[in-house]
Amino acid sequence: MSWQSYVDDHLMCEIDGQHLTAAAILGQDGSVWAQSTAFPQFKPEEIAAIVKDFDEPGSLAPTGLFLGGAKYMVIQGEPGAVIRGKKGSGGVCVKKTNQALIMGVYEEPMTPGQCNMVVERLGDYLYEQDL
Amino acid sequence: MEAVVVDYGSKLLKAGIASPDQDPPCIIPTKMKRVLEEGEAAEGEGTGNVEEVMIDTVVRGFVSDWDAMEDLLHHVLYTNIGWEIGDEGHILFTEPLFTPKYLREQLVQLMFETFNVSGFYASEQAVLSLYAVGRISGCTIDIGHGKIDVAPVCEGAVHHIASKRFEVGGVDLTNLLARELQKSNPSVKLDISDVEKIKELYAKCASDQLEFEKMKNSCPAEQHTLPDGQVITIGKERYIVGEALFQPHILGLEEYGIVDQLVAGVSNVASEYHRQLLENTMLCGGTASMTGFERRFQSEANLSTSAIRPALVKPPEYMPENLARNSAWMGGAILAKVVFPQNQHVTKGEYDETGPAIVHKKCF
Repeated sequence: MSWQSYVDDHLMCEIDGQHLTAAAILGQDGSVWAQSTAFPQFKPEEIAAIVKDFDEPGSLAPTGLFLGGAKYMVIQGEPGAVIRGKKGSGGVCVKKTNQALIMGVYEEPMTPGQCNMVVERLGDYLYEQDL
Repeated sequence: MEAVVVDYGSKLLKAGIASPDQDPPCIIPTKMKRVLEEGEAAEGEGTGNVEEVMIDTVVRGFVSDWDAMEDLLHHVLYTNIGWEIGDEGHILFTEPLFTPKYLREQLVQLMFETFNVSGFYASEQAVLSLYAVGRISGCTIDIGHGKIDVAPVCEGAVHHIASKRFEVGGVDLTNLLARELQKSNPSVKLDISDVEKIKELYAKCASDQLEFEKMKNSCPAEQHTLPDGQVITIGKERYIVGEALFQPHILGLEEYGIVDQLVAGVSNVASEYHRQLLENTMLCGGTASMTGFERRFQSEANLSTSAIRPALVKPPEYMPENLARNSAWMGGAILAKVVFPQNQHVTKGEYDETGPAIVHKKCF
């Protein structure tokens, strides 16, 4: 299984008739393991800020989460495991595994709950595989 | 099927079929009495008498006794609301800030496995109170029986970093009032439930700190007759209850008053939201309906150090009078109309597949 097929088949899959706008699996140093076609161009500082928030929960909330220049408001996640961001009616979900970050970006009409299900399910699976 | 909304608090449980413009149909206390059957023994007793033990099902906003909660919900759902076993519908619960994960999971488990509901959703009381006044962003100050929550909410999502929860509430104010009344009426025996009623009848908020100091020295005393016939005088004690919220050292807490807590919390949020948050402040909860509390809050807010003055939200005219007391339930009714038809809730199928942890993924 290549990483790209993880993104295409598992993250960009159809759930209740909808799918994520964009998804990617990144290393925690910012390297891209695989990404979907529509994934925004991000900067290394943004990834570094996300990794730092996993280590120190609450550091991203005052400034907001940036991804590819778009600003997301940080909402309830799970400290050290999941960061969730909201932008209008869409948002992003970032799940941390041992070595990677799994990101899913969603827009209306997909709901935050559905995005979380997809991203976190894959994350839990990779966690068990020790990735 | 209409959804049912349940808002359990430390003192009262509000429940009913979701109807947003009305008060909750069923408001019952959450204190329960357990009657021990013959043969079951309390600690140290072996006599088999029928004994009654008072249980607080919900302590400080969180469920503490799950068996009692199950019985209470059973009574509410099947007797008061009229569900039938085998035909349960959707249910929406409200929860206070910072609910521990295991409590949420336990509630989901109870609902799906014991009550067999078809859909479940849980939401924080702060967000729901704002929905009840027609806003999705703002600050809520929820002064309940067991806890005080100060929470900034942006577009329907609570900012947990900026929120604060205090483990004091109406119950501590009642104890304070009881102590003060005992000091000035030493010969009278006071029962806590009587003090609760006295608090609701007489407690007032002084219009500012100077007036409170004046009241401490001279205040018109009123006579009140307790149910058992004793007469007590209530003078300056009535003001101390409201004052304790603005000067927590009266309760023994080393904290700032409630307005300063709000401003401090909001400063932890990104600055572009400050105006929207502070100008849409909402007071809710039973204790917030004290006479003079809103006025005092507004005047303290005007004096506060923040550049933007906190302003209180005016509830819409179509909402019932007691909005502040039941705002979380009404917001839940509004949300129920949105969440369940759009299938954003946790269904039985999803619960069976993923287990109780699904509540963290789908309900926030």
